[in-house]
Amino acid sequence: MLSRLVLRAAPAALRALPPPVAVGVLHTTRPLHTTQQSLAPVPPLPEKGGEVRHGLIPEEFFQFLYPKTGVTGPYMLGTGLLLYLLSKEIYVINHETVASACILAVIIYGIKKFGADVAAFADKLNEEKVSAAQAMKNEAMQALQTAIEEEKKEQWRVEGHTYLFDAKRNNIAMLLETNYRERLMMVYNEVKKRLDYQVALQTLKRQKEQDHMIQWVEKNVIQSITPQQQKESIAKCILDLKALSKSAHAAV
Amino acid sequence: MNLSFFDQFSSPSLFGIPLILISLTFPALLLPSPDNRWVTNRLSTLQLWLINLITKQLMTPLNKKGHKWALILTSLMIFLLLVNLLGLLPYTFTPTTQLSMNLALAFPLWLATLLTGLRNQPSTTLGHLLPEGTPTLLIPALIMIETTSLLIRPLALGVRLTANLTAGHLLIQLISTATVALYSTMPAISLLTLLILLLLTILEVAVAMIQAYVFVLLL
Repeated sequence: MLSRLVLRAAPAALRALPPPVAVGVLHTTRPLHTTQQSLAPVPPLPEKGGEVRHGLIPEEFFQFLYPKTGVTGPYMLGTGLLLYLLSKEIYVINHETVASACILAVIIYGIKKFGADVAAFADKLNEEKVSAAQAMKNEAMQALQTAIEEEKKEQWRVEGHTYLFDAKRNNIAMLLETNYRERLMMVYNEVKKRLDYQVALQTLKRQKEQDHMIQWVEKNVIQSITPQQQKESIAKCILDLKALSKSAHAAV
Repeated sequence: MNLSFFDQFSSPSLFGIPLILISLTFPALLLPSPDNRWVTNRLSTLQLWLINLITKQLMTPLNKKGHKWALILTSLMIFLLLVNLLGLLPYTFTPTTQLSMNLALAFPLWLATLLTGLRNQPSTTLGHLLPEGTPTLLIPALIMIETTSLLIRPLALGVRLTANLTAGHLLIQLISTATVALYSTMPAISLLTLLILLLLTILEVAVAMIQAYVFVLLL
């Protein structure tokens, strides 16, 4: 019955505690959990630990004593306590005291000297982790951005494709036209050649006929020249020549 | 409270209950429990970095099969580190000053490495007993020597750890007693105090103890 009371009152009590304590309690009692996440909405943990003064005493203690005893209150308490322990020999000073003083000196020296560096190192490790992930995220975003731009460019290119196709079409039409004309030309030339051949053939035939006829006429004429006619023509020629020579002499 | 010099080494017991077990668990208080956060606080980050460093150091000479030892060797190293460091605080008891505990740590682990070696590759293990390039005359003697050194290893490990820590603590006790006793005659004090400080910083070579311990365990 009491356990049931505790179980019922637990969530409210847990939420009333400050967050680090609440999470601590939650973690410690985890083996006692029977269901999953029964006290589930855990408040998020703070990023830094609580403030401490002199590395040991939480700041809340000083704030707690401040209203009654002011600023020096806790220190007076500490000093009084220490003197009480020493004077009543509740704490005996022996060799361990000296040893503890030495080790404390070493520890405090170490912390003072290397504390900031170690903290910076730890922060750097964390920072690297986070920045690596961040860099990946940024890269991914950048890659997607460039992909978008490339896509837009491709779309613009596609718009230009119509012009390209028109030009190509014109080109091809021209080629076809040229080809056609060339073939026309060829046909014309071929036909002309054939016709020229026929013409040349006819001319040749006419020529041959003419030559043949001339030769036949000459042959017949030469055959018809009798020897008597030959003598008469030679005598005539001599007379003509004499007459010509006379006229030539006279001219000179 | 009159302390003799060896009171600090007696195993603490309260009403007859040996408290050594509790003192063995104290180092665990110093280690933050791993949280389910991705970016942890500084202590967790440093702890993670340190464990990574130690594990890498231990495991790089070993082949894949030897990586099974990573967990136990790293945790052994961290445990010894913390126990020795905590023992430096005043009025604390260091469990590793007890020879019983160190031998209890050394013997089983050493035996495990020996038996693993013998079972998986017996000829190589036996071959380790003879270093390479020894002249033929020395072989019998050398084998005897190597066997002896092998068999004495756990004893050496345990006693080394005990002796180092006990000696260190005793020295601190002695010198601080001398300081306290000589307090009435002033000048010698400051010198002795400085000596203690120096000794203490060298005693934080308790960390190196772990290195020595674990490195010897490597096969």
